[in-house]
Amino acid sequence: MNPPRILPELAAERTSHPALAAPKHGLRRVARGLRALPRSPGLTRIATGLLVLWAAVSLSFAAIQLAPGDIVSLLIGEQVSTPAIEAAIRREWGLDEPLYLQYLHYLWRVLHGNFGRSYILNTDVAALVSSQLWPTLKLTGCALVVTIVFAVGLAVLTAGRRWGGRLASGIELVLASTPSFWLGIVLLFIFSFTLRLFPVAGDRGFASLVLPAVSLGLAQGAVVGQVLRHGLTRALDEPFALTVRSWGVSGSALRFRHALRHAALPAVTLAGWLFGGLLSGAVITEQVFGRPGLGKITVDAVLAKDMPVILAIAIFSALIYVVLSTVVDLLYLLIDPRLRERRTRH
Amino acid sequence: MNLSWRASGFNHRVSLRQAALAVVFAFAAQHALSAQSAPVAGGTLNWGVETEPRTLNPQLNGQDKVELLLRNAYENLLARNADGSFVPWLATAYKVSADGKTYTFTLREGVKFSDGATFDAAAVARNFLNAREPAYSGGSSLATLISHVAAVTTPDSRTVEITLKEPYSPFLTFAARLPLLSPASFDRPNLKAGGIGIAGTGPFILHKYDKGQEIEFVKNPDYRWAPANTGHQGAAYLDRVVYRFLPESSVRTGALLSGQVDVIEGVSGNDAGLIRKNPDFSYRQALNTGTPYSLFLNVTYGPTQDPKVRRALLEGLDVGGIIQSIYRGQRTRAWGIVSPIDPLYDRRIEQAYGNNPTLANSLLDGAGWSTRDSAGFRTRHAQRLTIDVIQAQATVRDQRDVLLQALQAQARQRLKINYVDDGTYTDVRKSGKFGAIANSNTPPDGIDIEGHYLPVDRGGALNYSRSPAPELSRWLQAAAGTQNTAERKKAYGELQQFAIKEQALAVPLYEPEDQIAAATYVQGIRFRPFAQMPENPYDIWLTRH
Repeated sequence: MNPPRILPELAAERTSHPALAAPKHGLRRVARGLRALPRSPGLTRIATGLLVLWAAVSLSFAAIQLAPGDIVSLLIGEQVSTPAIEAAIRREWGLDEPLYLQYLHYLWRVLHGNFGRSYILNTDVAALVSSQLWPTLKLTGCALVVTIVFAVGLAVLTAGRRWGGRLASGIELVLASTPSFWLGIVLLFIFSFTLRLFPVAGDRGFASLVLPAVSLGLAQGAVVGQVLRHGLTRALDEPFALTVRSWGVSGSALRFRHALRHAALPAVTLAGWLFGGLLSGAVITEQVFGRPGLGKITVDAVLAKDMPVILAIAIFSALIYVVLSTVVDLLYLLIDPRLRERRTRH
Repeated sequence: MNLSWRASGFNHRVSLRQAALAVVFAFAAQHALSAQSAPVAGGTLNWGVETEPRTLNPQLNGQDKVELLLRNAYENLLARNADGSFVPWLATAYKVSADGKTYTFTLREGVKFSDGATFDAAAVARNFLNAREPAYSGGSSLATLISHVAAVTTPDSRTVEITLKEPYSPFLTFAARLPLLSPASFDRPNLKAGGIGIAGTGPFILHKYDKGQEIEFVKNPDYRWAPANTGHQGAAYLDRVVYRFLPESSVRTGALLSGQVDVIEGVSGNDAGLIRKNPDFSYRQALNTGTPYSLFLNVTYGPTQDPKVRRALLEGLDVGGIIQSIYRGQRTRAWGIVSPIDPLYDRRIEQAYGNNPTLANSLLDGAGWSTRDSAGFRTRHAQRLTIDVIQAQATVRDQRDVLLQALQAQARQRLKINYVDDGTYTDVRKSGKFGAIANSNTPPDGIDIEGHYLPVDRGGALNYSRSPAPELSRWLQAAAGTQNTAERKKAYGELQQFAIKEQALAVPLYEPEDQIAAATYVQGIRFRPFAQMPENPYDIWLTRH
C-alpha cells in the first residue's frame, strides 16, 4: 500500500463515519465545517494541519497576554527597576511594539524558521527545543511501548475470565491512580538504589530509559488495558467468536488474531489522549529521574512567561498531534478491513 | 619565603576551621583522622546538585544555589575570611580613599583567562563598564550596585580605580565578588546565556553542558593564583568534575547512598539523620548569610497597617517551637534582620520578643479586634482579622509550605496563604495590595538590608513591608557612609530594633542553610569562608576506593 495515496481517501472516509470522527481534534472539525467547497482531500489535510498550527500559535499567544504578570516586570524580577532599564529590556525583546505587530512579526519570523531567543535562558529557541525534543520523544516512545505491551498483555490474558478479570481490574485501578512521581521514586528505590540494576538518572543509553519509561507507561497502560479488556470481553461474546472456535481455532489464537482487532478500535481512538497524557506525564518523570527533555523547559517557560519558548513548544506539540492523527487514521485502515473495502468500492 | 607564606596559610586554615566549628555544626570528626594522609591528584568527582543554572553567565545568574559550580570557572578580586575580612586574590591589594568614594585595586601579575587573554586592568575595567549597560545588567543584581559607579579608570595596567557618585560602603563587597570574564567574552553572541567561550580565570574550565542532565568542568593546568585561605596552591587535584542535576531531594540521597554520585548538596531533614548515622558518609551544614526567611508585613495595606496587629503576630507566635518541630532540630531559628553569622548582626534582638500570648491578646484587644468568631479568629465589626500572605510557588522549598501552615495554626489572625505563579506574584508585589510576603535573601554586608528597608521607589526592590519611615533611610545612610564595622553594626542594630521589635515590619522565622553529604573517600570538602555556601572542589581530592 502506498501511504500518500491512502491519506486522501481516508480524509473522505472519516467524515462519512460519525463514530470515528467523534474523538477528533475539535479545531479540525470546525475547520472542516468552514470549508465551503470540497477540494482534493490531500490538500485538505495539509490545510487543516496548517490551520491547527496557526490556531495553536495564536491561542497560545493570546493566552500568554491574558495571563497575569507584565513581561518586562517579570524579566526585571525583584531587582532595581528604572525607566532606563525597562526601556532597554523592551527594546531588546521587541516589546516596545504594539501587540498586533509583535504577533505579526512573530508569525513572519516563524515562517522563516526563526523561533527567537528565550527571555530567561537567552538561548536560541529552535536549538533549545530541538535539543530537548529527542530525549522526550525517546521517553514517551518507550513509555508507549510499555503501555501497549502491558495493556494488551493484561487484557488478552484476563478478558472474559471471571477472577482474572477482577484481579487485573484491581491492578489497573491501583496503577491508574498511583501518582507517577511516587511510582518513579519506588522504582528507583528498588531497582536503582537497592538492586543497582539501572542508573539513577540522566539520558545515558537504554538502561537509563527503562525505569522512567515504566513509571510513565504503567499508569497509561492501566487505563488502556481497561478499555481493551472491555472490548475483548464483548468481542468474545459475539457469535463470530463461537464460529471461529468451531473451526477448531485455539482460545489464544482467537483472542490475539480475531477478538483483539475488534477491541483495538476504541483503544486506538484513545491514542491522542494517550500521547497528551504521556507528554504531560513526562514533566514529572523527567524531574524525578533528572532527565533532559521538554517537560521542565515547558514548566519553567510557562511560570516565567517565556513567550518564545512557550510558542515554540505549542507549535511542536500541535505538529506532533497532526502527525499522530494521520498515523491513527492509517491504523484504523489496517485494523478494520471494512474501511479498506469501502475504499475499493468507491 | 614561599615556605613561611605557606605556613601562615596553614595556620589560617586551622583558625578558620575552629571558627567554623564554633558557629557552624560541622560533623567532620571521623573525617579528621583520614585527612592526615597527603592529598593525591587525579580522578573524577560526580556531584549531585539540586538546581540547574538559568544562565551560565556568573554576572547575571543570581541563583545562589548554582554559585558552587560557576565558581569553578570564574573568580573575583578578593576572597573573604570567616570573620568577613578580605583576602587578596586576583587583586593583591585594595584601598578605599578617605572620602569613601574611590576604590583602588592592585591586580595580581601572571594571571591568565582560560581563553589565553591576559588578566589586566583593562580586562577588569571592561567588566565594570559593561555592567552599566542596562540591556546587559537590567533584571540582575548588578544593576543596583553598578548604579553607584561614576567612573572607572586604569592608571596603569595593574591598577583599577573605581569612583562612586557618593560614599557607599557595601560597594566593596560587590566589587570584591563580581565574577570576572575575559574581555573577548563581551563580544560573543552567547554572552548573556554564558557557557563555552565565556572564559574566566578559575581552577576548572567549562567543558560540556548537557541541558537538563549535567555540566562538566576539567582542570585548568595553568592555575596558580588561589587565594591564601584555600587548602593548597597550584592546580586543582581533580581532573574532572561532573555536576548532575537531580532536582528531587530523595533521589539525590539515593544516588549518593548507592554510590552513583560521590557528593550531594541539599539534604532534607529526614535524610540528614540517615546519612549522619552511616559511617561511609560525611555530612556538613552551614548557615547562609543574608536575610533569614521572614514574614514581611505590609504597612500600607489591610489590617497590618496597624502596628498593634503586626506586633501581636510577632509577640504571639512561638517561632522557636514551630521550627524545632517541623525541621526536627535541623534548622536554626532566626531573630533579626540578618543571619547570625554576619559580622553586622546585633545579637541583642535575641529573646527580645515572642511566645507571649498574653501580650498578643492585649495588643489585639487594644486595636479593636476584641471579639472572636466560631473558628477562634479575632474579629472586629463582624469582620475576620485576615492577613493575605503571598508566597511565590517558585520559592517554596525546604518545607516552607509546612512552616506557613504551622504559623497559621498558631496565629490569632487568619493567615490566608496564597501560592501564586511568578506573574501573579510580580503583579501583586508591584501593586502593594497584599498583607504579607515571606522570603529570604543571601547577599551579606548590608546589601540585603538595603534591599529590604530602602524605600520602594529608591532601591528597595525587596521592601515587602513598604515602610516609608524616614528613620530607616537615615540608619541605612549612616551605615553605608563608613567602612568601620563597629559603626555600621551600631546603625544596623538600631534599625533592627526599630524594624523588628518596635514596628514588627517582619517576623523572622529561620535561617536558610546549605548541606553537603559525601562518601568518606571524598576529602577536602569545604564551605566558602564567610558566605558559607558550598565551595568549588578546588581543594577536593579522592582517596583510593
